[in-house]
Amino acid sequence: MKGGSQEALIKSKRAFSVLAFFAFFVLPLLYGAGFLSIGDVNMLGRYMTFAILALGLDLLWGYVGILSLCQFTFFCLGAYAMGMHLAHHGGPEGIIDAEGWKIPACLFVVYPYEVGEASGDALVPGFWKPFWNLPLTVLLGLAIPGLVSFALGYLVFRSRVRGVYFAILTQAIAVASWLVFCRNDVKLCGTNGLTRFDVIAPKESITTFNPVDAKDQWLASHGNSMEYDLNKDGKLDQLDYSVAEVGFSLSSAEVQLALYFITAICLFGAYLLCRWIVNSRLGKILLAIRDDEPTLHFFGYKPHVFKIFAFCIAAVLAGLAGMLFVPQMKIVTPSNMEAYRSLLVVVWVAVGGRGTLTGAVLGALVVNLLYNYLTSEHDYGLFAWSPDYWPILLGLLFLGVVLLLPKGLVQLGQRFSSDKVSGSDAPEEGAKT
Amino acid sequence: MFGAAHASDEVGSNDKGETALLGLIELLASSEDEVRIEAINELAKSGAPTLEQFFELYRQGSVYNWPDEDGAVRIVVNLETVMDDDFNEFAPLLEPLTGKPYLVGGKQAKPDLLDLEDISPSRKLRSLVNSSKFLLRLFSPDPEVRLSGIKKCGDPPFIADAMPTLVEISNDPTQDEKIRWTAKESMALIRFSTSSAEAGNLDSRISALDQLGQLKSLRALARIESFEQEIQSLLDGNEISTGYFASAMESIGSVKGKLDDHRDSIELAGNLFRGVSYGSVLILIALGLAITFGLMGVINMAHGELVMIGAYATYEVQMFFAHSPDNTVDHYYLYALPIAFLASALVGLLMESVVVRHLYNRPLESLLATWGVGLILIQLIRIRYGDNIGVNAPTWARGGYEISQDVILPYARLYLLALCGACVAFVYFVIRKTRMGMLIRATMQNRDMARSLGVRTRNVDRFTFALGSGIAGVAGYGWTIVGGVTPDMGTKLFIVDSFLVVVTGGVGELAGVLCSGLGIGILTKLVEPLEFGDFTIGPVWGKVILLALIVAFIQYRPAGLFAPKGRLSEKK
Repeated sequence: MKGGSQEALIKSKRAFSVLAFFAFFVLPLLYGAGFLSIGDVNMLGRYMTFAILALGLDLLWGYVGILSLCQFTFFCLGAYAMGMHLAHHGGPEGIIDAEGWKIPACLFVVYPYEVGEASGDALVPGFWKPFWNLPLTVLLGLAIPGLVSFALGYLVFRSRVRGVYFAILTQAIAVASWLVFCRNDVKLCGTNGLTRFDVIAPKESITTFNPVDAKDQWLASHGNSMEYDLNKDGKLDQLDYSVAEVGFSLSSAEVQLALYFITAICLFGAYLLCRWIVNSRLGKILLAIRDDEPTLHFFGYKPHVFKIFAFCIAAVLAGLAGMLFVPQMKIVTPSNMEAYRSLLVVVWVAVGGRGTLTGAVLGALVVNLLYNYLTSEHDYGLFAWSPDYWPILLGLLFLGVVLLLPKGLVQLGQRFSSDKVSGSDAPEEGAKT
Repeated sequence: MFGAAHASDEVGSNDKGETALLGLIELLASSEDEVRIEAINELAKSGAPTLEQFFELYRQGSVYNWPDEDGAVRIVVNLETVMDDDFNEFAPLLEPLTGKPYLVGGKQAKPDLLDLEDISPSRKLRSLVNSSKFLLRLFSPDPEVRLSGIKKCGDPPFIADAMPTLVEISNDPTQDEKIRWTAKESMALIRFSTSSAEAGNLDSRISALDQLGQLKSLRALARIESFEQEIQSLLDGNEISTGYFASAMESIGSVKGKLDDHRDSIELAGNLFRGVSYGSVLILIALGLAITFGLMGVINMAHGELVMIGAYATYEVQMFFAHSPDNTVDHYYLYALPIAFLASALVGLLMESVVVRHLYNRPLESLLATWGVGLILIQLIRIRYGDNIGVNAPTWARGGYEISQDVILPYARLYLLALCGACVAFVYFVIRKTRMGMLIRATMQNRDMARSLGVRTRNVDRFTFALGSGIAGVAGYGWTIVGGVTPDMGTKLFIVDSFLVVVTGGVGELAGVLCSGLGIGILTKLVEPLEFGDFTIGPVWGKVILLALIVAFIQYRPAGLFAPKGRLSEKK
């Protein structure tokens, strides 16, 4: 086994280098040479955020044997944090409330007014305010999913809820949180979701914590000149300087390319983190939980501590993925939280190869690229493909992976390679899960 | 008179009642008001349903007299006129009662407009005609129509003209109890509402109010509130001293308190019933799961889709019998039950032999694979049937049984309850009392030992899975009379909730499913209507609260209400 895991390490390092080479050199070169449009790069960037999400699940499911069906809920917690931040700074649309905060357009169109409450009475909800500041947003976007998963894990793992029960429970949580985020009265823009972002990282989002300070700062440097009255309403307010205080436009090619690189760096950072965890002593304990939890417990370990740890890491990675996803997608809606979305993550991991980390990344990219290709119409002469067939193909993919390729695409790769060494920590076929 | 007979001959439906009605209608051409009032009252008393339309036409002034050559009265209806090239207006005529073309010599009569004599009601008569539209229903032979008519009289605008008739009905021992009660309620409402709060009328209003309190009339609550406001505005305007209203306010308060209590207890009863009914749906769906998941350990995420297949099988049977709202073939629903069972059982059998049998003892993999099957089933159904189909419930499922005043149990829900009970009994019988059930239990407890004793465990597996799937189909069949049918109904509505029921109940126990299904159902419906100030919990927060409760519950009983004991518990 020792030799096997050494081999695995070398192989995964090789795979890692190849993937990194593609992500950092080949793709940008292809874009530079005009073979890929900026839209394609943006799309790949988005799929790489999904790969981060899949990495977290692979750590949890592939190595600890815990199947979580609410990973997209954590993804959305991060995504909504970033969404609120972008909505604060995103362009001039919106109205200024009594406290000097801008109510973003996406919020006030579905603002849940009480009976008799006029639109002038609306205030930006208090929980939106910490997300004004970019570093704080990033911190919260990681901390919130982490804390939620900690609380949940503490309650659930301590009472030894295992396997299938945990999966069902997390799925119920995914459904419940989806229903809650769809409501207008939680003031997260209902089913419309957060949208209409056009700017990221203006100076004010880093140096200040609220729009009042931001306005002062801006007036100090620009003077109280009415030439900045951009929406011609006769007064200077946030609607004006949020235009004048230009950050980076989300629709410009440079920013999209930069976001792609940031995502790629985060993906490889996440990969290295997960690889480090599974190769450490800690990783052995995680594997032991998957393979024989009662015995580990018997040896005096407390499995629930390690389970909570893995669950939190997966949730934090999901939150990171969500935060990277929103500026590239420019919208986040509760539909991302629907129960089937979190099951999709499981498919990505299963297709790529469970318990290999590389497989999770590969699976997320392959399935999503396939999805992208097959949800438009194609005429193959003999056979016309319709997007209607996609769910059927996806279902067959599920069946195929489970029944024929339990170790996923990575296993397929191994069949073609000459050496017989088991190149992964993937569970044996038919292993107790 | 001759004209009417003539017309009837042409139509060829010389019913005795209709002749009498036509005779009365002809009196409307009279110039004397007394004769016309008498005729209208007599018409209203006939209770003929066709008259409702006639009264409306009469009120609008579309009813004319078209005297024949001898000057005899012919009552006709004209809705619109046609013009010829010389700008002469002609009026195509209709029969007053049937609305069919008025035939003279086999063709629709189309006299010059000037030949018609306008007999539209005078201002004085118009209100009488209007209320006659409602009075008419009080005499209807159909008790349902009669009841709705009586009810309508007590709603705004209050039909004071109906009072004598209502008195008659309320004292008539041949009438239904419910109808007499409603008549009393409407009378009290009319007495209470048609006089103002001015001094002289107060006593009669208060007595009507007491009566409403005794009748426990929920309809009175809105009226009482507006009465309170009326008094308040009088007090604000200082028109009347406060002392005068003291006793009135007191009796308003006591009646209102009584009615509020009544309403609360009714709401509680209603919520309890809704909870039981929701619980019965949950149990029906979870019952199949209790078999496939509880007994076999297979996480069948396509269970919701098997429910959906049952619903679509019911739809197919309905199509086969050509049942529709216009052409009711109620017995289709009887045939649909076994067919829905068989359809889902067959799909289940297919699933078992292609997919599930490879995945015993690998619960997480079975979860993924069956979810894939579910995706395929949903999409196949969607491609075949589109996004929405209409299953028309059989006619007997409409309406409900009024178990006590204002507590109505819909027949559809009652049927679902009975269906649920029957399914539980059936499953219990099969598992506990039959030879097959014994083999099932033996296989699930110790597969190897059972096989070594000669049990064909493969067949037992197939049968068990098909049984669980068939019960899911029956759940879908039952669902069609209370809810909508869509391809994704399984995933959208049932799957998560029913798994929660099984998990909370404890795997492998029928009693667990029963208890947790009913418990979750009732708890949900009791939590949902709770209010805290302006905030009503509602279905979404209700679900969140319920989930929190379940997570809390699992802290104490990780293996559910009825946990397997001893060595069995180690297996899962």
